[in-house]
Amino acid sequence: MTSPRRVAILGGNRIPFARSNAQYSSVSNSDMLAAALDGLIERYGLEGQHLGEFAAGAVVKLARDINLTREVVLGSKLAPSTAAVDIGQACGTGLQAVNYIGNKIALGQIDVGIAGGADTTSDPPIALGDKLRAKLVKVNNARSNADRVKALLAIRPTDISLDFPVNAEPRTGKSMGAHQAITAKEWGITREAQDELTVASHHNLAAAYDRGFMDDLITPYLGLERDGNLRADSSLEKLAKLKPVFGGPQGTMTAGNSTPLSDGASTVLLASEEWAKEHGHEPLAYLVDVQTSAVGYVGGEEGLLMAPAYAVPALLDRNGLKLQDFDFYEIHEAFAAQVLSTLKAWEDPTFCKQKLGRDEPLGSIDRSKLNVNGGSLAAAHPFAATGGRIVPALAKALKEKGSGRGLISICAAGGQGVVAIVER
Amino acid sequence: MTTTRQLSSAPGTLGLYGRAALPMIPGASRLPFVAGSASALPDLTLTLPEVRVDVAKLQAYAKVCGFSLRNDLPVTYPFVLGFPLHMALMTDGSFPFPAIGLVHMHNRIVQHRPISIGETLSVAVRADNLQPHPKGRTFELTTTVRAGDELVWEDVAAIFRAGSGKGPAPEGSEDPTAGVGALRIAPTEEWRLAGNLGRRYGFVAGDVNPIHLHPLSAKLLGFPRAIAHGMWTKARSLAALQDRLPDAYAVDVRFQRPVLLPTTVAFGSTETDGGGLAFVLQSASAKATPHLRGVVAPA
Repeated sequence: MTSPRRVAILGGNRIPFARSNAQYSSVSNSDMLAAALDGLIERYGLEGQHLGEFAAGAVVKLARDINLTREVVLGSKLAPSTAAVDIGQACGTGLQAVNYIGNKIALGQIDVGIAGGADTTSDPPIALGDKLRAKLVKVNNARSNADRVKALLAIRPTDISLDFPVNAEPRTGKSMGAHQAITAKEWGITREAQDELTVASHHNLAAAYDRGFMDDLITPYLGLERDGNLRADSSLEKLAKLKPVFGGPQGTMTAGNSTPLSDGASTVLLASEEWAKEHGHEPLAYLVDVQTSAVGYVGGEEGLLMAPAYAVPALLDRNGLKLQDFDFYEIHEAFAAQVLSTLKAWEDPTFCKQKLGRDEPLGSIDRSKLNVNGGSLAAAHPFAATGGRIVPALAKALKEKGSGRGLISICAAGGQGVVAIVER
Repeated sequence: MTTTRQLSSAPGTLGLYGRAALPMIPGASRLPFVAGSASALPDLTLTLPEVRVDVAKLQAYAKVCGFSLRNDLPVTYPFVLGFPLHMALMTDGSFPFPAIGLVHMHNRIVQHRPISIGETLSVAVRADNLQPHPKGRTFELTTTVRAGDELVWEDVAAIFRAGSGKGPAPEGSEDPTAGVGALRIAPTEEWRLAGNLGRRYGFVAGDVNPIHLHPLSAKLLGFPRAIAHGMWTKARSLAALQDRLPDAYAVDVRFQRPVLLPTTVAFGSTETDGGGLAFVLQSASAKATPHLRGVVAPA
């Protein structure tokens, strides 16, 4: 086998993210993913083209969307010969889709592909309760009308219940915010530090829009031109007024320094260098390596969202790099406290010694290089769409700088984390 | 003299259907404010300025018709914007026919360019071209949509009114869809249409004609069951072709046979020599005349 090829990030397109039950309130995942893909097709002249594969996913997905991505391809202007796959790894879905397409390009299985993700919290799948479902299956299986009536009559009012998707870990029953509140307390993350990070996120994203940085990363959708959650006038004073929503009355996490439920979709165009050249696209940057790690959290042995703290050192070691060898850090702001806990863990000699088995801590990062064009606290976080928001924006920042290296870190439900290196 | 009447807002179609029923009362058409007494089409244009698309209504429409919701309006959506004007015109005292009982036979939409959701539009509607027909009379209901001064979209609905057929068949009215039958398009998609489709579409499109709403109301007007809206069949067909439509084109359809609900229909399409598309919608079970045949011709 030949050695792996370089994976070029050519660009991306997403729709502005909307807060839950706002502008995209009755829009489906497939509509949003199709809209994001449409814009990408138009921007990169992909109409009628056969691509290697389209990989995307949605975390909150309707049962009928089994083949969500393939259906989106068939409804798009891509050649119908473009294969597609649905993948899922909670909030890591988008970056894992980039990894999947990137690996196929690196190995020569495909020359070009699109990664993406979409999520709606406004159009959630609501399931029937188990009792009712079991009885309805019996009705459906009944052979005669008499049997059908009998099966129907067996349904009691108390059988009727609905299962709404909940933002809670199945094994602990605790919400992600409740988990993170424990971690934040363990690491002594203050309310002020979280609010500062939140303000920076909003100001950085607003500045990115104002200077036109987002122009070729985003396509307005249904009248929304900027992310609906963005508060350009965010300030410490305003955030200080909010009451804690996780961790009890003494908690530090608020609706301001936690990401809200939101709707949106994103896509990333990846290709081999040869394909990019043949089609006249200059790569923005290259995908170097991706690491996925997981931690046990069910018995409280580690914080639910701490897996990136383990994934990053593994990725650094494999690539012979230090934490300080980066020009940009894109740490997904699920909660401001998640970012700050992770950074603190890397600075902590005890954590690095006991948990990571390192003699030296990873150390600090230059905070002025963190989420320079805004993060999830400002843009919001439609779960599977976050990876596809970050990758093209980081690649573009590297292109603007001319050369350099960027680190991406995304935490995910189930105690998992996906991290990546991008360089130019 | 041409009269142009500008409406300040879209009239409610539910009330207009009440008006539309008035001519069914024997003798009512002699009243000057009830349609059905005049002998010629009024030289009247109704306009609605400053129309903006309500995204929530559009979403509901897209869902019922199967359109994926994009930044550009589904090609059939401006018809919905014009529909209140259609009803206002056809229930006007100067209109020669009662609105109930008119049959939409053929529909031509020309999209000069895609219309994006945020645009401010003006809509104008008028009726023209009253013609004799062997079994009654026909006329054309024209809807035009402008963005500023730019004509972006137009629709011509050919409408038939049964009556005493005095004249010969209208001359020179070429049907662009006439050749579709000879293409022998094999259906590739089956759609199961629920009994409440007429109510669902009627609600999102504002067309609450009783023939679409319920088997009982349809029976009162001579149909065995509720029938699907013709413009739904056109919209659903174009939704099936959404990824293959050019930016500027004309799409003609002929409504050949009503779709009685509930039912299963089959849809098929093929590319034509001119770089366009031809399509048919027919019953999934019987090999009868198709419900709809249509042609997309790029501009």
